[in-house]
Amino acid sequence: MDGVRILEWLALAVPVEGVDWDAVYREEMPRVFNYFRYRGFERATAEDLTSATFEKAWRARDRYRKDRAAASTWLLAIARNAATDHLRRSRATVPLVEASVPDERTPEEAALRGEHIRRLRELLSELPGRERELLALKYGAEATNRAIATITGLGESNVGTILHRTIGTLRARWDEGGTQ
Amino acid sequence: MSDDFLSRLHEEPRPEFAEQLGEHLREIDTHARERRLAPSAYRRFVPALAGAGLVAALALAFTLEPVRAAAREFLDLFRVKRFAAVPVDPQRLERLAKGGLDFKSLVADQVQVVVAPEEPALVASPEAGAVDAGIVAQLPTVLPRRTELAETRVARPGTFRVQVDTAKLEALALAAGADEIEIPAWWNGATVDVEMPPVLALRYARTVEAGEGRPPREDSFLLFQAATPQVELPEGFDLAILGRLGLRLAGMSADEALSFSRAIDWRATFLVPVPVQGGTFREVGVSGQRGLLVTVQPPRRTAPAPEGPARRAHSVLLWSTADKVFALQGPATHDGVEILEMAQSIQ
Repeated sequence: MDGVRILEWLALAVPVEGVDWDAVYREEMPRVFNYFRYRGFERATAEDLTSATFEKAWRARDRYRKDRAAASTWLLAIARNAATDHLRRSRATVPLVEASVPDERTPEEAALRGEHIRRLRELLSELPGRERELLALKYGAEATNRAIATITGLGESNVGTILHRTIGTLRARWDEGGTQ
Repeated sequence: MSDDFLSRLHEEPRPEFAEQLGEHLREIDTHARERRLAPSAYRRFVPALAGAGLVAALALAFTLEPVRAAAREFLDLFRVKRFAAVPVDPQRLERLAKGGLDFKSLVADQVQVVVAPEEPALVASPEAGAVDAGIVAQLPTVLPRRTELAETRVARPGTFRVQVDTAKLEALALAAGADEIEIPAWWNGATVDVEMPPVLALRYARTVEAGEGRPPREDSFLLFQAATPQVELPEGFDLAILGRLGLRLAGMSADEALSFSRAIDWRATFLVPVPVQGGTFREVGVSGQRGLLVTVQPPRRTAPAPEGPARRAHSVLLWSTADKVFALQGPATHDGVEILEMAQSIQ
């Protein structure tokens, strides 16, 4: 029925802003992946959650409103929900340490870096959930304090304060452990 | 305070993972394109039902442009109480479009999406769907033979706001040759809000065995129900003017449009477009209410049939109760008797 076709035209009225989604994928995928890694998920789980985040975003991207938030912020909000859902479903506990040693020039460098990573993961795992999430957004996803405030609902200055305090605590513990 | 040490955990995703995910996202696009091209009962009829109140505002949607904010403190409401068929000549609309009337861009330019529509979501049961849709589910107790409930979905068609641009309405009237219709100047900038409640959609299916020279097929019966949609109109907004314009666009003469316009209650009647060729309609009784049964035949083929399932005639029955609207669509078998029996049994 042609009336239906006219109604479908209304659906086309959903504003599709000029967003280069391929570019968004290239730029934001590593950030989203690292957000999950900093949250403490193992690599395989982080990949699964990254896939789920982009799949959901991809299917809904026609409804993304550029005037409301940057695409990166929108994606991180979806990622955050994906992490919450995953933890709720699996009641997962994040691993304290994961033996992930990237390629290095020498075995000594690899060992040292592996030790740093193990130590850092251990320190992160000791943080309360909120502080760890803010660090994951800041250092994993490289989000600005303003974006973090939008995603978490905290005030921007509050985000800055919590991050500053948390980094100070971590720095002290890092130095105590003799890791430089 | 240096925070360099916190960046040490940063790692690159595996290239093969990045490639696989990228490929998967491209597949999503490919499938979405295929779905858009394929005829889908859900896609075609969910908006038809959910937008019940919308048809009265369609002519507005043709032509609106934000000009100025209208005072909205005084509002009238449009609510669906009955359905009326309007013969529509699709070829006329096509001719108007070819003549430079760009319906699509006019709509896209003037409609503001307040709440975006969502794809129909699968739910576990009609009861769960009803809770999700905020209604009490009413289900048929009589089904056609070998027919069973196949799936339940809830659709959220969204909320839209349109603003009237009288200049464009006048241009539209001119294009339709309807210079007898005067568009009130005060309409300019007026705001019309179209709220489409969630729709509970049930699909019943039966498999029809293969016959002589005929492959097996699945018949679907789609039952939609929703709280009555409503359209908020500025006080004194005469829908009859807009309705006449729509009727003229559809192909009625000036006299026919005027006569039709005087015969219906524009604030409570949902106009159902029926193609003049291949479409038939009749009024029927459904549980004490007046319903409209529309049957549409597939267009005659002028070229060899492409591969794929044969296109078959289908019927749609529309009716309303005090607080809900219903649509039931299915194969046009036995003069719509199957659909009518199913609708009559809904409790």
